[in-house]
Amino acid sequence: MKFIAAKKIPDLLGLLARDARVWAPLVPEDSADTLLFLPWEPGAEVDLERFTQVSPKKLVMPGSEPLFSFSYSMAVDCERLEIGDARGVPGAGGASDADGAGEAPGAATVLFGARACDARSLTVLDALFGLEPGEAYNDPLYRARRAALTVVTLACTSCDAACFCSSWAEGPASTEGSDLILYPVEGGYLARGVSDRGEALLVLDIWEESEQPLPELAETDRVPFGTLNTKLLEIFSDMDFWERATERCVSCGYCTYACPTCYCFNIFDEMRGSRDGERCRSWDACMFYLYTLETSGHNPRPTIAHRYRNRIGHKFSYYPENQGTTLCTGCGRCIRGCPVGLDIRDVLRGAGER
Amino acid sequence: MADLVTTIKQTLKDVELVLGWVRDPATGVAAPARFHTEEEAEAAVFDSTCVHNLAVHLPRLKGRRLGIVAKGCDARSVVELIIEHEAEREDLKVIGVGCGSILDVKKIWRRFGYGVEIDDRGDSLELGGERGPREDFLARKCHGCLEADPDIYDLFVGESAGGPAGEISGGREEPHPLSAMLEDLAPAERRAFWREQFSRCIRCYACREVCPMCFCRDICIMQTQVPHWAGGEVNARESEMIQHIRVSHLAGRCTGCGECERACPVGIPLMLLMDEQNRAIEDMFGYRAGDSLRARPPMQTFSIEKDLWGDEE
Repeated sequence: MKFIAAKKIPDLLGLLARDARVWAPLVPEDSADTLLFLPWEPGAEVDLERFTQVSPKKLVMPGSEPLFSFSYSMAVDCERLEIGDARGVPGAGGASDADGAGEAPGAATVLFGARACDARSLTVLDALFGLEPGEAYNDPLYRARRAALTVVTLACTSCDAACFCSSWAEGPASTEGSDLILYPVEGGYLARGVSDRGEALLVLDIWEESEQPLPELAETDRVPFGTLNTKLLEIFSDMDFWERATERCVSCGYCTYACPTCYCFNIFDEMRGSRDGERCRSWDACMFYLYTLETSGHNPRPTIAHRYRNRIGHKFSYYPENQGTTLCTGCGRCIRGCPVGLDIRDVLRGAGER
Repeated sequence: MADLVTTIKQTLKDVELVLGWVRDPATGVAAPARFHTEEEAEAAVFDSTCVHNLAVHLPRLKGRRLGIVAKGCDARSVVELIIEHEAEREDLKVIGVGCGSILDVKKIWRRFGYGVEIDDRGDSLELGGERGPREDFLARKCHGCLEADPDIYDLFVGESAGGPAGEISGGREEPHPLSAMLEDLAPAERRAFWREQFSRCIRCYACREVCPMCFCRDICIMQTQVPHWAGGEVNARESEMIQHIRVSHLAGRCTGCGECERACPVGIPLMLLMDEQNRAIEDMFGYRAGDSLRARPPMQTFSIEKDLWGDEE
């Protein structure tokens, strides 16, 4: 099997970076206790031990992206509106501010050091956004980014108390969404190609041969899903349950924005001055009051309990029903980072026992 | 915590529910909870992992008779909320707790892994079986603690600190660890520093949602589209702008509880901004938010006569 010594990982990243932008788990400057997927540059030290606080989903779904630009002008007898390409407006921020955005659609990108849960989340999103042209929800921007993305996954030989990917059949051994998988072993990593694109990486002149066996992978907590999807429909109107379950929630958007599978977005016009503007798509979160506020002033999800019920129902009942897969891969970010210690597993188990 | 449990049970005879903490069985640290019945109150705890400021729940529960377990710093928020009419003193039973400083649980978990066993013995700390210097893992706000005992309470549980938390506090003069670095930078470099920091922001608004004083939350200027004051894009420029709006809306109202910085998932040092502003407010107006129920917040006091920020009626 192919093997790479741990000290040669920077060389591997250097080779990958010749043809693509490489995103890897990095510690931001001045923030030693934060770990994020950031663009790798030579000299930057990747952290392949700890978990990142935010998922890599922005590589297929940037925090915000312009869809098109527009410009108003006054003609003799009318106001004229012209529609242009995205980023047609001089001085526009948006995706050209490389920070919030990922990469431009279609730009070759490597995601390095994703975990099995992160890689699998891409296939979960594909079930909605990656459909063929002509099918419902075909999203050309998503598809362009997805097609240009190579995923190098880091297999998990250890986990923490928030992980629950073993709730699904393959758990940490899942290869879905990965192109190449690195398995931590003594002194370095064994490498296994999963897709043609991953196999192609094994041709690079950096790998050694090794006889080491594949390591034993982690075994995480398991949430018994069973018939949870129908159970959640049954307890839809059980507001007692939802109110008690969300008493500590403060309705921020961290769980949804850190989540590798939450995909909700909002579309609005950003003006650059009084005549020019861009129509932008940005992340949105169902935990916000404004998410469902209607023009009339009515809000069908007025309380935190209503909103959290939707979050759970969407992930574990409606999405499986409509797209055939759970909208969760057990990465545990929403648990690790929740400012008030709300554990989604407690709610799921509570719902199951209701 | 027999004393705490008894006190909460006693309080429940008089109120609808009590805000406090329970132990999360998965991690062993405290998590916020609401006690509605005496039976539920059996699970109440208080220890150095009770990091949350429960006063954040008061505005949403306004009009109901409540009890709240409060550390000294949390009680400052309760005071400020009463001053701003977001909580009514007569509807509240404040259960003050003696606090000997709290831990930076997020920092511990990020260094040693989520859920690592935390064994705090008061003078030493064991993390997953390894001994760590306790002082390195204290919440930063404890280093600037002015008074660990709550200023207002109806009942008190535990030992009074009779001053700042532990022996560690530098009080008001205790600077944010990054402030010296920032002071040495030229304006353009400072700007670059903040751009870099805010480039990580994902606009989850956790800073706002955990802030007891950010009670506009559902219809906040950072997010509304009508009117569209702040741009909706996720990028450093917008994030920096909306945070400056938030900070200036908290002028003379921030009690320095540090929840925004604690909640920030991407490690933006928000208290660096708040500390600086709080210090300026104190220098200019001699006012520290949360000090006294009788105080008049300078930014919300208008007198057509003179004496704009004096003590006189």
